[in-house]
This record gives sequence, structure tokens and C-alpha cells, in this order.
Amino acid sequence: MELFLQQVVSGISIGAVYSLLAVGYALVYSVYNFTNWAFDAFMVVGAFAGFYAISSFSLPFWAAIVFAIVMTVAISLLVETGAYRPLRMRNAPRLFMMISAMGANLTLINLINNLFGGAFRKFPEISAGTIYLGNIAIGKMDLFAALFSFVTLGLLWFFLQRTKAGLAIRASSLDTTTAGILGINNNRVALLIFTITGILSATSGIFYGMKYAVYPYLGGVTIKAMIASIIGGLGSLPGAVVGSLLLGVLETLVAGYISSTYRDLFSFIFLIIVLLFLPTGILGVRTEEKL
Amino acid sequence: MGYLSTIIILGGISVIAALGLAILTGYTGMFSIGHAGFMALGGYMAAVINMQLGIPFLPAVLIGGLFSGACSLLIGFPTFRSRLTGDYFAIATFGFSEAIRLVLTNTYPLIGGAYGLTGMPMLTNAANTLLITVGAVLLAHAFVTSQYGKNCIAVSQDATAAQMMGVNVLKTKLIALFISAFYAGVAGGLLGFYLAYLTPSLFNITRSSDLLAAVVFGGMQSLIGPVIAAFVLVAVPQLLYSFTEWRLVVYGMVFVLVMVFRPQGLLGYTEMNGTFLRVWFSALRRRLMRKPQPQEG
Repeated sequence: MELFLQQVVSGISIGAVYSLLAVGYALVYSVYNFTNWAFDAFMVVGAFAGFYAISSFSLPFWAAIVFAIVMTVAISLLVETGAYRPLRMRNAPRLFMMISAMGANLTLINLINNLFGGAFRKFPEISAGTIYLGNIAIGKMDLFAALFSFVTLGLLWFFLQRTKAGLAIRASSLDTTTAGILGINNNRVALLIFTITGILSATSGIFYGMKYAVYPYLGGVTIKAMIASIIGGLGSLPGAVVGSLLLGVLETLVAGYISSTYRDLFSFIFLIIVLLFLPTGILGVRTEEKL
Repeated sequence: MGYLSTIIILGGISVIAALGLAILTGYTGMFSIGHAGFMALGGYMAAVINMQLGIPFLPAVLIGGLFSGACSLLIGFPTFRSRLTGDYFAIATFGFSEAIRLVLTNTYPLIGGAYGLTGMPMLTNAANTLLITVGAVLLAHAFVTSQYGKNCIAVSQDATAAQMMGVNVLKTKLIALFISAFYAGVAGGLLGFYLAYLTPSLFNITRSSDLLAAVVFGGMQSLIGPVIAAFVLVAVPQLLYSFTEWRLVVYGMVFVLVMVFRPQGLLGYTEMNGTFLRVWFSALRRRLMRKPQPQEG
């Protein structure tokens, strides 16, 4: 039982990091109906910026987070204005948006790989040690990452539900064109959304880099966040959080009781099962046209 | 000659796989970033049945392709049946190819796990690659000009409208996916019999990106565009070896530039057939024979 609880707790701490990414996907998807494939690269930019801020510029931890967020938001806005906006302006098919996003992703990741090298870098230890809750051990950094993620998500929820700008985003997610007609500046909403996703991906990049290592292909984990946001229902923010926590717990349980090698295979099988029996996810909305 | 035949073989393999992706992405409008997984399935299957059961080259490659096509339905059916949009399918193909790589890396009996499968005969040569490639082009052309191909185009343009006109959307998508995975599997089989070894790392995301690049640069709803692009994308990095490292950075940037400035790609919506050549020649002739206009007084 204790082992089980231990697994669940570490699953939740992984799920918290997934949920930052998954909410980023869900936010973009809810407004623009397309998956931001460049998210992978944003996360890597965040992790590298955070790593070099601490190891080369020897900034304190909080300043490194701020630096990583600033860098990632800059890249995110660059991709938005350069690769997405021109397509959105002429109502290009979604396939083209996806290809453009893939292109941005490919460029950024390989640019980082060529400029900085593909080595695995150990993130400088911020605070070692574990906290014991009864017999359950929690790494201090894991706890911090989980708390930070939940606070960030809480702030995001407050922003979306209680501010005027948040209202604009929610209006755009219902219908972008109508929102534009009613006087919402769509381009400004886009900048806002990509700023938020930049912040989310930078923080998740740092936390993920701290937990494992910093390297150019660390963004591969975003596939987990995509799976999580599909499980929760694409485009639904609470769904993304639920899906991430579920996936995180499932993964640690599989790794603990069945096989750590085939952990990722189980996540994928879980996705197929969800698609078969619950096509719109747990909290998703069916948007398909009725015939 | 050795160098030339290398380019012909690798180019042909890339052309075959790109043709499959052109049918899926270019014609049916579904975006796959896991085609390397289908190549791996076909390649391993062909190698294993050749080595264990002694099945000769051509049947082994074809069976590898059919196996890959059958496996593609495994992800195609759940994603298409629930009529979810392209993103789900793209994520599913990506997850599928990663899952295949994971299984191949960790299965040691028969296929050698992470060390790879070695010791199959080198059966692929320039002549049979060229023949198979020509066959693949003709078959793909026959498919896209058939009623099935027209269904694919209809589905890619507006699935709802296509369904109202009586097109079975699920069946059309599954057929396109099957053919596409079949082509990828055949390409994988040829690659295995050319290299005489197969490792899971041969079929990573980079290979999927290379294939996608051929289709995006070559153009949507075109076969000749991806064929030319796939061949050029193989030949050029072979010629400029130092280019390999920066290749993906450049590809990515060109992806974005193509989508922003010329979304139809190099030869989008055109086909290298009689009409195309006639139009092209007459445009050339007009340009060459254009007389200087007399100046108006």
C-alpha cells in the first residue's frame, strides 16, 4: 500500500509538469483548432535558457526562471508572427498550419542542437533532499515543481475567468470570426495566447530539465502532453489537467509494477483505448458538424 | 558507377516512401509524422521472412509492405472512426512510430533489439530499385486518377460535403492510409536488403521529417513534385556532405517559407502528363518566339 501511495505521489508530481504543457496545447487548440507543434521547441528553449542562466551567468534560481520565460516568450511570439499569423490571415487549411508549425519546430530544435551541441547536461542542484510524509518520500524539487505548476495554473484560471483580456480569449475560443466582428482584436488575442503558452512551456522546460537532464531532444516529452490533452479532451483546459494527472499516475504505476522499458508503450495503448471508447476525451466537446 | 548506383538506390527508396506519403498527405489531407515507423515494420518483416523462411526478394518486400499496411489500420481505424480531425491522427502516427521503435529496440530474439538485425543478403541493386520505383509511380498514378483517388481529393477538401455526396469517408481514408503504409513498408524492405542490416535508430523522427519535406516541397496533390523533391533531397546531401548537419534547420525554415509564400509547393496541383507538358512547351515557345512589339506612334 505504501509503495502504491508512493507511486501515486510521484505520478502526480510528473503529471503536474505534463499539465503545464497540456494546458498550453489546450489553450491554443481551443482558440485556433490546431495543435501547436512548435511547443516542443519552446520547451527546449526554456530549458536551455534556464540552464545557461544558472551555469554560465550564475544567476539565482528565480532570475533564471524569469530569464527563461522572457526568452521563450520572445521565441513564441516570433513563431506566432512569422509562421502562424500570415497563414491565419488568409484562412489557410489546418494542414498548412501544422506543416508550418512542424517547420518552426524542426528549425529551432536543430538550431539549438547545432549551436550548443547534443550533450546531456546536468541541471545544477538547486535544493537537494527529500521530505517525508509518513513513509512517503517526496523530493523537495518535485514538490516545488508540482506546487509551482498548480499555482501557475491557478493564476491562469483566474486570468481567463476574471479579467477582461481573459474574457476576450474565451470569446475567441467560442468563435474567432464573431469575436473579431464584435471588436476583439484577434491579433492581440493571439499575442496574449502565445505569451501564456511561452510562460507555460518555459516553466515546464526548466522543471523537466531539472528532473532529468537538459538536451536538445528533451522536448520529445511533449508527445505525452499531447496524449494527456487528448485523453482529457482536446481544447478543454480542465480536461488537460485531469488527463495529465491521470497519465502521470498511470505511467509511474506501469513503471513500478509492470515494466519501466515499456512505460511509453502503455501510454500509447491508453491513448488508443481512449480514442476507441471515448473519442472526445473525458471533458471534451464534440465540435464535428452533424449530418 | 558505385556512387551513382548508391544515389539511384537511396533516391528510389526515398521516392517510393514519399509517393505513399503524397497519397496520404497531398491527396487525402492527412498529416503523418510517423511514416518511418511503417518503413521499419516493412523492413523488419521482409528481412525476417527472407532469412527465416527463405522467401525470395520480391515477395518478401511485398509481404513486408502488406504487413505494414495491415498494421497501419490498427491506428487508422480508431482515429478515423471517431471522425477526429487531423491533429489526432498526426499525434497517433507519431506515438505509433515511437512505440514501434521502442518494441524493436527491446525485442532481442529474432531481430536483435538495439543492436539491430544483421546478415541479410544484399539483394537490392540499382536495376531492381529502378524497376520497382517505376512500378510504384505507375501504380500511384493509376490510384489517384481512379474513382478512389477522386474520393481522396474530395475528402481532403471537405469531408462533410464529400460524405453528403455519398463518399464513404472512413473507407476512403483507410484505403489511402493502407496504400501509404504499403509504400513505406516496401521502401523499408528495399532499404534493409540494400544496407544488409537494420537498426531501430534508422527509423527515427528525422527520417519521417525527410519524407514530409519531400511532400511539402514537391507540392500538394501532385505525384511528380514529391518524386522529384524526394530524389533531389537524397542526392543533394550526398553531394554536399557538410550540409547534412544543417539540413534539418534549412528544411524547417523552408517548410515555413513554403507555407507562407507558396503553400501549393513546387509543383502543387500539377501532374507531369501530356497536358502539363503541352501547356509548359507552349508557354516556353511563346516566351522564346515573342517578337518585339512595334512601338506605338
